[in-house]
Amino acid sequence: MRGHLRRALPDLARVSFAGIVAYRAEMVIWILSTLLPLVMLALWSAVAREGPVAGYDEAGFVRYFAITLVVRQLTSVWLVWALNEDIRTGRLSIWLLKPMHPLVQHAIDMVVAIPLRALVLVPIVGTLLLLRPDLWRTPSPAEVALFAVATAVAWLLNFLVQALFATLSFWIDKSDALFGVWFAAWSLLSGYLVPLSLFPPGVRPVLAALPFRGMLGLPVEILGGFLPLREAVVQVGVQAAWLVALLGAVRWVWAVGVRRYGAFGA
Amino acid sequence: MRSGPVRWAQVAAGLVRVSLSAAMQYRADFVMDAVTGVVRAVAAVVPLVLLFDHRDTVAGWTEGEVTLVVGLFFLMQGLLSVLVEPNLGEIVEAIRTGSLDFVLLKPADAQLLVSLRRVDPGPVWTLLAALGLVAWSVARMPPPSPADVAAAAVLLLAGMAAMYGLWLMAICASFWFVRVDNLRFLLWAVTDAGRWPLDVFARWVQVGLLVVVPVGLLTTFPAMALRGTWTGGTVAFGVGVGLAFLAVSRAAWRAALASYTSASS
Repeated sequence: MRGHLRRALPDLARVSFAGIVAYRAEMVIWILSTLLPLVMLALWSAVAREGPVAGYDEAGFVRYFAITLVVRQLTSVWLVWALNEDIRTGRLSIWLLKPMHPLVQHAIDMVVAIPLRALVLVPIVGTLLLLRPDLWRTPSPAEVALFAVATAVAWLLNFLVQALFATLSFWIDKSDALFGVWFAAWSLLSGYLVPLSLFPPGVRPVLAALPFRGMLGLPVEILGGFLPLREAVVQVGVQAAWLVALLGAVRWVWAVGVRRYGAFGA
Repeated sequence: MRSGPVRWAQVAAGLVRVSLSAAMQYRADFVMDAVTGVVRAVAAVVPLVLLFDHRDTVAGWTEGEVTLVVGLFFLMQGLLSVLVEPNLGEIVEAIRTGSLDFVLLKPADAQLLVSLRRVDPGPVWTLLAALGLVAWSVARMPPPSPADVAAAAVLLLAGMAAMYGLWLMAICASFWFVRVDNLRFLLWAVTDAGRWPLDVFARWVQVGLLVVVPVGLLTTFPAMALRGTWTGGTVAFGVGVGLAFLAVSRAAWRAALASYTSASS
């Protein structure tokens, strides 16, 4: 990282955080609107009441979707909408003049929102724990460490995928609609709607190689103890490979796209 | 000037025509929405296919019956996003900028005008996917009797009326709190719970999904009618809730208009 950026970082973070705090009510509504895991939890625990499914008993499903809720919040970004708006309205011009990459500014905005997200999660997860104390499972230190790594990489993957879709706004108007298609596929293939181990055995290796699992399901499986540690390490490797590939793709598409940028309104 | 149902229907048809032609300018979006609608329907059904690999019934519901509820859920989402949702964003903006004045000046009922100001044809594909899912599900169930079908239709209408009332109340809230456009994300999120039969939820959640956010009325109740597990009481309850939501939202709309001071004058 360049020296000037390192010096500016604390102030940039403070400004972003003030922005988040100013719109806190809006933020809380945003957070509350991603409670779909709780709806999935109701369905799957009703299923498991009659006996375990693919190794998941009722408490297992509750644990899986409780962690899904948490990881989803911690790795949630809204870059595709923010950047799409910047490009469409020409506001990107301001960011391009500054001595740092526009994506860095957005990354800071989204990272500083994480503490507020975590704060909103506390009462929700607390209530779940009160209702279903049996969902608790004490993870090993190795699992916690690997979970932290996998969650951080998952955040980066989500950020970069959205950056890729948003960069398409240099060519097409409605890249956010295209992202809607991706999101629908993601919700099924990442483990958001259903644990991936419920898929037929023939499909599972394919799912393990695709980028979706590393964007949500992998950290969930690690912390919930649904994945042997050895396998988890291999999967984090897959995650890292996708990270490298996406970084390259975003750099390239951005470099080509920004040359096409017409600066609407300028 | 004429008034009454004929005039209302004429105004409604005119509004729909204008907003459809406005939306058709964006043809690429239209195709994109089609793809999104199909992918979303597939993503919603696959978990159920996986589930019924392991089970024959969930909370007493068979596979065809659960996919029927999912189909009705998408039908509801489609109808809301074609007819209701675009207007919520629009009206919030109109209140903020004061351009609602021009709506109020028009010689037609303002509630009708703001409710059908814009029709977004994109999600029509969601509707088609939903109807396909409903038809496929019903084909896999024992055939419903004519009375079952009639009850389902009545409950569907009642549910739609109730959801419309809920959305109108959200619009009314924006007269007092200017920034409520996020409220609609929350509403969408809560309606997500309507995608499963109510029986999978705890009792208090079931009650909430029938009388507070009446999404169960629109998804589970018509499905109950089609599978033949309904009584006259079910239909009466549904119609009652639908009418209550219409009445309360109409009253809220009147109160909101009475307190409207316009942003420009």
